Amino acid sequence: MLPQLRCPKKPGSALWSRADLRATIGVMRRTVVIVDDHEQFRRSARNLLELEGFDVVGEAANGASALVLVDRLEPDVALVDIGLPDMTGFEVSERIGGRTRVVLVSSRHRVDVGRRARSCGAAGFVTKDELAGERLCALLEGQT
Amino acid sequence: MKPLRLALLVLGVALAIVDYGLLRDDLHQTVLRSLPAPAVGLSGIVAGLVAWSRRPDNRLGPLMVAFGFAWLIRPWQYSESGLAFTVSFALGWLGAALFAHIALAYPTGRVTDRWERLLVRAGYVVALAFPTVTLLFYDGSADVKYVRPEVPSGILVHANDTVVEILDKGFVLVMWGVLAPCFVALVIRKLVRATPRARRVLLPILLAALIASLRAFYEFLLTFLTPPASPLAPPPELADNLYWWQVIGQIALPLALLAGLLSARLAVAHVGDLMRTLDRVPPRELRPALAQAVGDPSLEIAFWLPERHGYADADGRPVTLPADGPRRAVTHLADDDGAPLAAIVHDPSLHDEPELIEAAGAAARLALENARLEAELKAQLARVQESRVRIVAAGDEQRRRIERDIHDGAQQRLVALALELRAAQKRLGTDAPPELDQVLAGAVDELQLAVGELRELARGVHPAILTEDGLAAALESLADRTPLPVRILAAPEARLPAPIEGAAYFVACEALANAVKHAGATSITIRAEQHNGSLVVEVADDGIGGASIGGGSGLRGLADRIEAHGGRLRVESPVGGGTHVIGELPCAS
Repeated sequence: MLPQLRCPKKPGSALWSRADLRATIGVMRRTVVIVDDHEQFRRSARNLLELEGFDVVGEAANGASALVLVDRLEPDVALVDIGLPDMTGFEVSERIGGRTRVVLVSSRHRVDVGRRARSCGAAGFVTKDELAGERLCALLEGQT
Repeated sequence: MKPLRLALLVLGVALAIVDYGLLRDDLHQTVLRSLPAPAVGLSGIVAGLVAWSRRPDNRLGPLMVAFGFAWLIRPWQYSESGLAFTVSFALGWLGAALFAHIALAYPTGRVTDRWERLLVRAGYVVALAFPTVTLLFYDGSADVKYVRPEVPSGILVHANDTVVEILDKGFVLVMWGVLAPCFVALVIRKLVRATPRARRVLLPILLAALIASLRAFYEFLLTFLTPPASPLAPPPELADNLYWWQVIGQIALPLALLAGLLSARLAVAHVGDLMRTLDRVPPRELRPALAQAVGDPSLEIAFWLPERHGYADADGRPVTLPADGPRRAVTHLADDDGAPLAAIVHDPSLHDEPELIEAAGAAARLALENARLEAELKAQLARVQESRVRIVAAGDEQRRRIERDIHDGAQQRLVALALELRAAQKRLGTDAPPELDQVLAGAVDELQLAVGELRELARGVHPAILTEDGLAAALESLADRTPLPVRILAAPEARLPAPIEGAAYFVACEALANAVKHAGATSITIRAEQHNGSLVVEVADDGIGGASIGGGSGLRGLADRIEAHGGRLRVESPVGGGTHVIGELPCAS
């Protein structure tokens, strides 16, 4: 039986407080794999998410290695870029199974990524410049 | 008529009269039975002389004349004169060999096939050797068919009836039992292998040859299967029927040959008619007119385009000429200065009537010049059209590259910077001076604005969703971004060629932008559907109307883009009645 994970958040609060982060780290840090062919984005996203209480357990630069990594590490979240060199993020999302939830990212706007973002089994979509732990948690908990 | 031919004609007529007298008076044949031999001989001579004067370089004429004379000397076998009998017996079957030679050599006068040549040679050898050798042993006593008994050979060396009978039967066996079936097989093969036009020309001649050959089988069967010795033997009454079929075939062969020659002459006359009407024949109808004139529906014309240094069809499309061969042949035509003008690709059988294709080419020269100019113009237009498509395609490719460069370059760097600044904000947390926190927050906001503007710019250059997900998804995205209610009534789910999708998308994009910015519309509909091999994209708004393609609205550029793909753009925009932009783009799938 897997532990029930929860994103601590103050009702009505837009930003996470240190207390929230501490509470999260203290309880159980969500594990994340970042899949993107831009190294700079992976680095910046890792910095930010780790500061926001996530545990970035792996990075992949293409769809094939992402599938291997996710299969091996079974992270809670796979943050997958839509435009990968070998396959689309939609395809990666369709092929990831088990307990890992997929959140699609792109520097393009939501309206520019098409209907497949909704039908590929991903938990949600977030533009790269709006990436934040709080947003990620909202998506994972079913709030858009 | 030249003296030699005139002399041959007179000699032929004289021989025919002598033959008739010999058969009628000496052998007491009926009038009906006395006529065929002179008739066959004379028909051969007359047809041969006509062919000879018409085509002096074709051997068929002399061959036909020789065939006629061979038939005219045959009745001398019944002569009481030893010399006449000997000459006639020695040369009497030459007519059969000549018959095969003529049938297989028609219409060129040459036997080019190896097997046909072999058969013709064998025919001459057998037709001459057997009778000549027989004469060395024949003293008039042996039982030999078609001769008057008791007239001895003029070249008798040693009388021997057994040898004579063996040679007589041997001749029948080889000539009628072996060579005649081979001849029939080669005739059938010639018909099967002929091109459609050649088959039309050959058919009457070869049918005549086949009919005449029936008698040969009968001779063979009669000799070796004499009734009642064999149940397979032919009934004797068959002989009479076959005799008349043989006569018909032998008369028909020279007549068919004559008819073939006359039809070629008629065709040349037809070309003369064509020349008078060619100034009224539009270039597009030149091919069927020429095809009809020379009797070859498969005829094609290729025009020489000096600029391209190659051949093209009437529409200016490049054409590769076939090699001269058994199925197709090419005749090159030059203009008055000797420069290449056109090539006529035709049935190889037309080479047998060179004057016909030459006359047709000469008659059509002016029309060919005009048609070539038209083909040249069309080829140039096609090249302009192709370059137009290439320019649009290159523009599209450039747009895609710019979009990718923005997305993969500046946009990624700004996104990473925004995340880094947000991380710095997090690190500093509440310990940071409020001014610094404000500066960082302002920088993050500015960066997000910059990323948003870059995103808009990239999308305007080329929407990635169009490349990745197709027209339907791109139109949906376009509708979502438009600050007015937009209903998509239809959009093709299947992917279409990228240039077509691009053109259709930009039609919708421009029409929507005009509706929002200039038309004061409150609602818009988009419909993109495939009809009869075209993609039709229609955008209708309820605005003030009054738009036109030339009105500086960006629709002119769109019209150019659509026309480059062979389509057209229409704008219906009555003042106060809304605007209806319709783009039609040819697309196969």
